[in-house]
Amino acid sequence: MARLALEPRETNSIIAPIQVAALALVMTLIGGAVLFAIYGVSPLRGLHAVFVEPLLTTYGIGEVLLKMAPLLLIAQGLAIGFRAQVWNIGAEGQLILGAIAASALAIWFDGTGSPLLLPAMIVAGMLAGMAWAGIAAFLRTQFNANEILVTFMLTSVALQLLYYLVTGPMKDPMGFNFPQSISFGQSALFPTIIDGTRANASLYLGLVATAVAVIFVRYSFASYKLSVGGLAPGAAFYAGFSSKRAIWIALLVSGGAAGLAGVGEVAGPLGQLQRNISPGYGYAGIIVAVLGGLNPIGILFASAIMALVYVGGDFALLSVGVPDAVTGILQGILLISYLACSLLLTMRLRLVREAPV
Amino acid sequence: MKLAKTLLATALVGLTALPALAEDKLKIGFVYPSPIADVGWSAELNAGRLAIEEAFGDKVETIFVENVPEGPDAARIMNQMAAQGAEMIMLGSFGYMNDGIKLAQQRPEMTFLHASGFKLAPNFSNFQSRNYESSYLVGMAAADVTESNVVGIVAAYAIPEVIGMINGFALGLQEVNPDVTIKVVWLNSWFDPPKAQDSARALMAQQADVIYSLYQDTPSVVTVAEEEGVFVINTSSDMKAYAPEWLLASQIADWSSFFVRSVQATLDGTFEGEAFWGGMSDGTVDVKSWSDKISEATMAKIMEASDAMKAGTFHPLTGPVVDQDGTERLAAGVTIADQDLLGIDWLVKGVETRLPN
Amino acid sequence: MDVLIFMVSGTLAAATALIFAAMGELVAEKSGMLNLGIEGMMATGAAMGFVAATVSGSYTVGFLAAAVLGALLSAVFAVLTLVFRANQTASGLAIGILGLGLSSAIGKKFESMTLPGVPDLPLGPLAQIPVIGPMFFQLDVMVYLSIVLVFATWYMLNRTRLGLTIRAVGESPENAHALGLPVLWIRAGCVAFGGAMAGIGGAYMSTAYTPLWAEGMIAGRGWIVVALTVFGTWMVPRVAFGAYLFGSISLLELSIQALGVNVPSQLMSALPYLVTIFMLALISRNTLFIRLNSPASLGATFRL
Repeated sequence: MARLALEPRETNSIIAPIQVAALALVMTLIGGAVLFAIYGVSPLRGLHAVFVEPLLTTYGIGEVLLKMAPLLLIAQGLAIGFRAQVWNIGAEGQLILGAIAASALAIWFDGTGSPLLLPAMIVAGMLAGMAWAGIAAFLRTQFNANEILVTFMLTSVALQLLYYLVTGPMKDPMGFNFPQSISFGQSALFPTIIDGTRANASLYLGLVATAVAVIFVRYSFASYKLSVGGLAPGAAFYAGFSSKRAIWIALLVSGGAAGLAGVGEVAGPLGQLQRNISPGYGYAGIIVAVLGGLNPIGILFASAIMALVYVGGDFALLSVGVPDAVTGILQGILLISYLACSLLLTMRLRLVREAPV
Repeated sequence: MKLAKTLLATALVGLTALPALAEDKLKIGFVYPSPIADVGWSAELNAGRLAIEEAFGDKVETIFVENVPEGPDAARIMNQMAAQGAEMIMLGSFGYMNDGIKLAQQRPEMTFLHASGFKLAPNFSNFQSRNYESSYLVGMAAADVTESNVVGIVAAYAIPEVIGMINGFALGLQEVNPDVTIKVVWLNSWFDPPKAQDSARALMAQQADVIYSLYQDTPSVVTVAEEEGVFVINTSSDMKAYAPEWLLASQIADWSSFFVRSVQATLDGTFEGEAFWGGMSDGTVDVKSWSDKISEATMAKIMEASDAMKAGTFHPLTGPVVDQDGTERLAAGVTIADQDLLGIDWLVKGVETRLPN
Repeated sequence: MDVLIFMVSGTLAAATALIFAAMGELVAEKSGMLNLGIEGMMATGAAMGFVAATVSGSYTVGFLAAAVLGALLSAVFAVLTLVFRANQTASGLAIGILGLGLSSAIGKKFESMTLPGVPDLPLGPLAQIPVIGPMFFQLDVMVYLSIVLVFATWYMLNRTRLGLTIRAVGESPENAHALGLPVLWIRAGCVAFGGAMAGIGGAYMSTAYTPLWAEGMIAGRGWIVVALTVFGTWMVPRVAFGAYLFGSISLLELSIQALGVNVPSQLMSALPYLVTIFMLALISRNTLFIRLNSPASLGATFRL
């Protein structure tokens, strides 16, 4: 008699995360093929449009990198908290605050050619994101208020604040009353990094964040303390873990990173403050963090794949003519496949042979 | 390994499946901000697309993408259209303006039509409708049928086009009955059908017996008016089918003649960027499905005004016009300039609600 | 007076979708399962309910189809979190994304179509009472069913063995397991119930409240549901009260505008969230109170 048994892995395998990611990707490809078949599109053509076509041109690669930048930043920040079981799900709101703060500077100092404007915007955006997440940290540490719910509700507040600002104080006075700010000057914009594309230098922020995260996770005592706090047995949802500092670090870091992502959007592809800053990067960042196995390097790849699915989905709209719902469903399948497979990170399947009793 | 094989196979099949280069057809791309439905803004733009196909047959090929959010992703759709050989692009929403202008500058050989913006380039036209003209006419009808002397407006944003329409509506109303109060509910959203319906009910609860559904893309307001037995006027599309009993009139916009003319110019190589203002005189704007409950005397007056506008001898926004604060905005006999209309930010006296912010 | 009638009857209707979804989510959370995919499940329910009701000509079929699909989506969540032990937050978000995509796909051919809307329940003489009649007795059957659901949920959670079991599982799955309770099955059942109710809540939006289908019409109401369970500190009456409060605030904003009073509408829109955050901080401070009501294992993965 032989049967499949699930048993805990004895050691942390290096190959396991790669196996899991590959398995999830294969499952997504199969799911995607079925999806395209339902829409009457040749599965291979559909998958080609999503996963290959964007990588065939410089422009397409630029778009993937453009999309990757905010996802990478947000996910690296969030992962640090997630490892400590601090669930900041309000990165979307922190991103908005970062965008607002950076835009305020860009509007205030409009017309200046100062090379300091962009760095100032970066710092302001980061601080604003930290401050917004800091509210949740304060309420969690002082009042024991659940950070999942606070960060989430602060996102709704941030959205309304944005709507107020773009229809009021930060509206372009010459903009015919449309809800958006002035277009930023060159000194308030990230330079593009590949000619002929929109990919801009905000991607470097994400790469720096990745490097910092690698070092933080590998070598830092703070990370160790965070993880212990997170993994402490019996750490109840509300009783929380002992270290208030861990909560503060987790929320400030993730808030700051999300704020930076917000700067990258307004000082990047948008070039102004408007109502639609983010097509859900804050939420997608959570997914990327999980997809990357909360590992900095894993997140680097996960953000690239997620960006590819986004961009490829847009490409598929035109090249194979599927409706926009397909992108969403494909992302859902990718994440669900990965979440299901991720059990194999800590467990493994083994063929057990048993002698008949 | 398996993954690599799958990817490779996908790539190969996909490459061979790529369509052959298009023949000598003018490829025209359309970007719509909302899903194409039977009625609404995108539906009317799409009707313009069909008119182009009808008029030019084999000489053109049209492609479209619907439900494209205003934001960083819209540029990708446009660029992708250009990459696929589109030589002309129609951009269906204000928020596509900046990305559209950028693309127009990069691609001087292409031509662009942009809805409701204010920027121009040699290969970039924008188009507006003189909806305030038809608003004036339906305002006269509203004044005729109201018994409570309260008329309610459900409006999206206080942008100039909407303000111009409210002003036209109010002036037409006052022409027939100067004692009517006009209440406005601002939704601050282009799209929230339940909220639009709630707003209509809130206005009805305050005695409004005519509801003006201004740029609501769905029939939400129209259906609730039919259900409650309250007159309703709507914009963009004819919604008689949704309220056979209580629809007072539908203001419609028909972009076909402008679209066809612009396509012809592109084919001939004579395209010049222009600010197109389509009104009643050229058939872009009109009113359909007049209710038979409007009195004959008023209907005669409406037709008289309609004929005058079609002949170009009457402009609804002609002084004396006084705003809500009692300031004279247009002196007797003075007609508002198009440039002022583009940035109008005041409501005429008689409108009870103030502009937001 | 009309304004008052509008506010009262409107609030009852506006809260109905929220109550269905919130009661479902509350039961799921009581068992320790935090499903953040409500928005997607409601959207899918709205699309499915509208399509099924249109095609079959029966509202009952519409609500049933929405409930089944909502339960199926939440079953994916249950399998991920219970069988594959995936993180609840991420799994919920995944379901939400999948649900939004599904809703768009299901409703594609029905965009902007309308239905007559679920008819008002004929309550005869009650409906004729001046003022009171139009306030309370000229509403559709789902409004009354949602009130029944509130009482039923309260009774089930607090007065039945099943409720005790659910609460025990939410409090400490380890202890419940040690006592021989089928923790996974109970949690799965609660999650499926939550999905079904979210589906019905969504279908209420598209077949009764605003009887039409338009992509994106749920417009954030699913997230409000999540907020409501917290606002109500996981107590049935308070969650229901929160739903009515939320419904009335959203209508009040419109009524005040129609009155001609200039209010910063963004502040009004943000108010419910600010109040919820404030409430949350206030009640969480009292850890004893929180311990008594909140499911201690909420959001935590249970390992056998």
